[in-house]
Amino acid sequence: MGVVHGEQMVLNIGPQHPSTHGVLRLKVKTDGEIISEITPVIGYLHRCFEKHCENMTYDQVIPYTDRCDYLAAMANNFGYVVAVEELMELKVPEKVDYIRVIMAEFQRIASHLLALGVYGLDIGAFTPFLFMLRDRERILDMFEMTCGARLLYNYMWVGGVSHDLPKGFVETAFQFLDYFEPQIEEYNNLLTYNKIFIERTADIGVLPPEVAISYGVSGPNLRASGVKWDLRKNAPYSIYDKFDFDVCIGDGGQGSLGDCWDRYYVRMLEVKESVKILRQALAQIPKDGDVHQAIPKKIRPPKGSIYSRTETPRGDLGFYIESDGSPIPTRVKMRSPAFTALAVLGELSEGWMMSDVISILGSLDIVLGEIDR
Amino acid sequence: MSVDQEKLIAELVEKGLSGDMDSINAIEDRVLRSKAKSALAKAKRAAKVATKIVPSEKKTLEVSIDDKQPSDNLNQKIGHMIDKKFPGSLDSELNDTHIQLKPDQWFDIAQWLKSEPSLHFDSLQCHTGMDVGDEKLEARYNFHSMTHDHYIEIRIAVPRDNAHIPSIEQIWRIGDWFERETYDMFGIFFDGHRDHRRMLLPEDWEGYPLRKDYEVQETYHGIAIPKVKEGWE
Repeated sequence: MGVVHGEQMVLNIGPQHPSTHGVLRLKVKTDGEIISEITPVIGYLHRCFEKHCENMTYDQVIPYTDRCDYLAAMANNFGYVVAVEELMELKVPEKVDYIRVIMAEFQRIASHLLALGVYGLDIGAFTPFLFMLRDRERILDMFEMTCGARLLYNYMWVGGVSHDLPKGFVETAFQFLDYFEPQIEEYNNLLTYNKIFIERTADIGVLPPEVAISYGVSGPNLRASGVKWDLRKNAPYSIYDKFDFDVCIGDGGQGSLGDCWDRYYVRMLEVKESVKILRQALAQIPKDGDVHQAIPKKIRPPKGSIYSRTETPRGDLGFYIESDGSPIPTRVKMRSPAFTALAVLGELSEGWMMSDVISILGSLDIVLGEIDR
Repeated sequence: MSVDQEKLIAELVEKGLSGDMDSINAIEDRVLRSKAKSALAKAKRAAKVATKIVPSEKKTLEVSIDDKQPSDNLNQKIGHMIDKKFPGSLDSELNDTHIQLKPDQWFDIAQWLKSEPSLHFDSLQCHTGMDVGDEKLEARYNFHSMTHDHYIEIRIAVPRDNAHIPSIEQIWRIGDWFERETYDMFGIFFDGHRDHRRMLLPEDWEGYPLRKDYEVQETYHGIAIPKVKEGWE
């Protein structure tokens, strides 16, 4: 920002601060009210996930993946089991694939609802948050109905899932979707097109596509910058190639392409697409089939390594797994989407006002459990 | 804001855009100065965005789905190309799963991987370390090209007691954090990294946890560190 005349100040945000979405500390250098440099300090929630993985069997890792991204635990389970299955070249029954997709998409809606609601809360809109949490609660109820847990499921296992869908799940799910779809319109009225909300988000924190790719930003944050990239479409895993849905990208609807509002709105659009996938999956799911049938007695992947990616609500979740042929992995590396999203914050916030930082950080939708692992 | 003020700010912004920051910095009134600065920042952003994004109707990176190359032998193909372009950089026989390189020419090779139009690896997907035994550590890179939709994996082995690899943080910006994490966990040094610090652990932590021979330190700032190895399988 050129010459500074003695009013530079270093400000600490966090590690205990509601707007940092967890235990994140931001070292902010300001020039008046303008940000001249921002350095995220992470590691407060480091729980040695990768070291633990080297000391337990493949299936024992799954509950730990829950606790990485605790807002989208199903998606993390999914990413991990897909990686191990790919390494073992294991084929799972069709019914299991359907159940997994249904859970992953419900989880996407739940996670996005929280992200959108909390984003409103960050900016000062309290009501939409309550509306969205109310609806998220119904999804959590369905998860509880299926596997008994509300947040940390340990539901997807290598080769199968822990429980079959309970009686009446499909009907409940359809009921929920019928109730939920009109709600999206309500959210839009409440928050998306709110004048104050647009003022605070449009044209703020513009992320050009080249920068996003160089930083490895993925998921809704990348798509908001106009890059049409979604692993469910571009490199389909599980049975995502069977469903008809669109990849939503930002278009600079209220300001410029890749601003905070775009990042927010892409998530809103994705919720609609998830509903579309869910309707198809729930209609097509096979009635019969044993979800435990393909679960191996002993998980011993052959010697080798794999890098496998899946699309979680936050973006590309990669697992790099190295196996030496024993039941214990040699190395599990989790490449988390929120990690790369936070890495771009420094460049993204430079030159904006102090109040915009909260807006930019919220729009990236980070989860610290996944960043620190 | 009064009309006069708006005019004044517009003038100042124009001056600032042409590189004259002194006139803004010379304003006595704090509020006015910060207003001017924020307007300037916005104007700069807008200018940047205008040049970068507006002609991007075409530039929007459309990744085609049909145009898939068999990735099976891509490691071999690109390995050959690297061998031709940078003789002596390969560390072992070519194979289907990865390309094994020596660290010396890594920075040049990395730059070439990104700039060569037929490869154009614009995204560093994953980077991690690995303790491969034999007194060796390995850095592994998974690259992906958004334009061509292809993947390769590159591995670079270095001796455990003298682990130095050229940093590629300036080529792929995410390399910054990835390399810091690998340094943190494995003690591989990335030469030329502009911010070479630990990522997740505190700066004064001893040892590198993901090495296989790691022993937890007994105390940290006078606090005893519990060792719970019993009960694990």
